[in-house]
Amino acid sequence: MELFTLELTVANRCGVLNRITGLYAKCKHNIETLSVHGSGDPALSVMRISARGDHVIQRQMMRQLRKIFDVKSVVLLNNSTY
Amino acid sequence: MKKTGAEIVIESLCRHKVKSVFGYPGGAVLPIYDELYKNAYRLEHILCAHEQNAAHAADGFARVTGQVGVVIATSGPGATNLVTGIANAYLDSVPLVAITGNVALPLLGKDSFQEVDITGITRSVVKHNFAVSDVRELSGILDAAFEIASSGRPGPVLVDIPKSIQTDLCDESEFVRQELFFKELPEVDLTAAVAAINESERPLIYAGGGVVASGASKELLAFAERISAPVACSMMGLTAMPAGHPANLGMCGMHGSQSSAKLQSECDLIIALGVRFSDRATGNTAKYKEGKKLIHLDIDLAEISKNTPADVELHGDVKTVLQKLLNLLPQQERPQWKAAVAEAAKLDFCPEENTLAPRSLLKTVAAYCDADTVIATDVGQHQMWTMQYFPFRSPRTLLTSGGLGTMGFGLGAAIGGCIANGRKRTVLFTGDGSFGMCLQELATAVSQNLPLLIVIFNNGVLGMVRQWQTMFYEKHYSSTTLNRKTDFPALAKAFGAEGKRVSSLSELKKALTTLAPDTPTVLDCQLDMDEFVLPMIPPGGSVQDLITHKELK
Repeated sequence: MELFTLELTVANRCGVLNRITGLYAKCKHNIETLSVHGSGDPALSVMRISARGDHVIQRQMMRQLRKIFDVKSVVLLNNSTY
Repeated sequence: MKKTGAEIVIESLCRHKVKSVFGYPGGAVLPIYDELYKNAYRLEHILCAHEQNAAHAADGFARVTGQVGVVIATSGPGATNLVTGIANAYLDSVPLVAITGNVALPLLGKDSFQEVDITGITRSVVKHNFAVSDVRELSGILDAAFEIASSGRPGPVLVDIPKSIQTDLCDESEFVRQELFFKELPEVDLTAAVAAINESERPLIYAGGGVVASGASKELLAFAERISAPVACSMMGLTAMPAGHPANLGMCGMHGSQSSAKLQSECDLIIALGVRFSDRATGNTAKYKEGKKLIHLDIDLAEISKNTPADVELHGDVKTVLQKLLNLLPQQERPQWKAAVAEAAKLDFCPEENTLAPRSLLKTVAAYCDADTVIATDVGQHQMWTMQYFPFRSPRTLLTSGGLGTMGFGLGAAIGGCIANGRKRTVLFTGDGSFGMCLQELATAVSQNLPLLIVIFNNGVLGMVRQWQTMFYEKHYSSTTLNRKTDFPALAKAFGAEGKRVSSLSELKKALTTLAPDTPTVLDCQLDMDEFVLPMIPPGGSVQDLITHKELK
């Protein structure tokens, strides 16, 4: 299954990471890599999350993540198969 | 002037035009309840017997009014008791704001008395939740909670307020707004949808809760007539179309009408409006879509193509998009398809019954109801029979647990629905199993003098599970024979309500003409334990697997 990486710009506050990883867990998608770092704006942080899934799963995850009120934007970074 | 957090809560509720809240007091919400006491003249608090039912009542209130329902509970067990009610509202997209108290800020995270991490517990069953950590944020968070609960696809929002924040002081000039990211709806391009409808010879509309939530019943009717398409409803969409309209096929899916199953398999285009293709509505999704096009309209993009891939995706509000479609589509006659619809409708004909049975019971009670009478149900066989046989005439008159299937939902919901509908007669159809789950709430119906009519389909068994055991588990009736010997009329009287046993249609009619105007009445209707809900498409099956009364005999 393809590894896909999403870059999320999110509110920098308590519980946001839990909300996002909870969504991956609910849909039974294992997170392979995860990084969270600050952005230029102290109110926002940036997350990069990689998981495996075909294009249907990728589209569904992006649509679900965009619904979260702590999430400002979701971008699909790359597709790499290995 | 500085205000306490508790004062800010009440001000916020009043600013959002809340008139009634449901709840149960406790240690961690004492400051809020003190303010409720002072503000009773403008904000009514309905004290329930159990927080779960308080949540169901707020849910029922919201379903009837279309406004946000509000429930308040204390920390710890008060908060965890709300979870089923919140999950129920989440699965049925009901706008709900749940306010919980929590221990004071310095005690948080230390396993203090009656402390639970309720935002963590509810995270997967809310549209959003907030743990307030600063009184300056409280007002903004409550505004956001109401906005989130009621906008777009509605849903529950939980706001957890530590007790110390309820007593902290803050001036309006210090308020801090919550930064949240609301996503705008895009402009919808209807070109592909219009082309697909124009090309279709046999279109079928599949309408759901989104039609009711959007207030689009009129538009749905006009749309169905404009394109000469029949309408099959999901359970949540059932009140979107008036019963008896020739295009209304009633409910579709596992226990849907035969006509809806037949026409669904024969159509060449499904126009899905505000539905999410639940497994209970579609069965085998691959077979469901075989040989047809699908247009899927929903306000929640994540629902489109989630369970069944759509050929045309429309991301928007049902009412707005239907209005636009009506401007673009000419009158379309489709006489052959209309004839096929009329022919299929004959499949749903049922002969009249003279004995007390599920259908005759529902028809008899329906004759005593008005077009705007609110009907609540619990979960199980009685629920499916209500969907099949009760003639719903207006939107927002049905309170039923669709997505979560919560046994025990009905009584709380009926209480909330009754209060929302001007405390007019409200009917609850329930089973002896479901009623047993939350019957303590009779106490609230009595203390509030609510004219509830509670009709128990009493067959002495957990009928729906028993039906599956009969059909799929070689009649191994594992734990479904109740053998409880509960005397429901005596129980009703013990609560201060009225109660009667009903064993025949004539007894039922007599009981219905002598209902007390301001007291709940329980009618304990004796039914056969081997009545089946039919027709039935077995789980994961398709229309070819449909079981009807004929097949069973």
